[in-house]
Amino acid sequence: MDDFLTLVAMVIALNALICIYRAVVGPTTQDRLLAVNIIGTKTLVVVVLVTFIQAENFFLDVAMVYALLLFIVTVALSRYLEAEGWEETRSDG
Amino acid sequence: MVKNVIAAIFCCIGAFWFILGTAGLLRMPDIFSRLHPSTKCDTLGACSLIAGVAVFSASFWDILKLVLIMCFLLLSSATCGHAVGRSAVRNGIKPWGKGEEKR
Repeated sequence: MDDFLTLVAMVIALNALICIYRAVVGPTTQDRLLAVNIIGTKTLVVVVLVTFIQAENFFLDVAMVYALLLFIVTVALSRYLEAEGWEETRSDG
Repeated sequence: MVKNVIAAIFCCIGAFWFILGTAGLLRMPDIFSRLHPSTKCDTLGACSLIAGVAVFSASFWDILKLVLIMCFLLLSSATCGHAVGRSAVRNGIKPWGKGEEKR
């Protein structure tokens, strides 16, 4: 079972590496933000899998804190970009 | 034995949806159409993988923490997708139309 979980974790980590392409190339800032969010979710799942591969319980707490941080980072950055866009339209009009 | 098989099936479903989400993130033409596959497939993949691992796990507190992470992911992933899409709209990004070039 450990070997199988390791295989799944490797597949998901490879997916996260492929997602970096969108974070580098993505034409708009929102594309990069979305790609970073997706990579974060995949890393969270890899951390959950590592908990059971290594049989160490405290990685689950790390995963919980990681989920909270990921949510806050994405929402705060998107609100920040939104406010920036509003200022531009206001100066245009 | 049965527990391991159920956990393996759930993990395979989760990895499959993760691969689909990555393909959507790379192949779709626009930020709005990219939001759809990546956010949804990520939510479903993460939740089914965590459910499979919870079936495999033994202790009560581990299962409680996994269920908490799963509920929080269900809430936060959808909220993140909505926030990113709203910031794209308010920054004046035009949606992709048929026949246009990929962006």
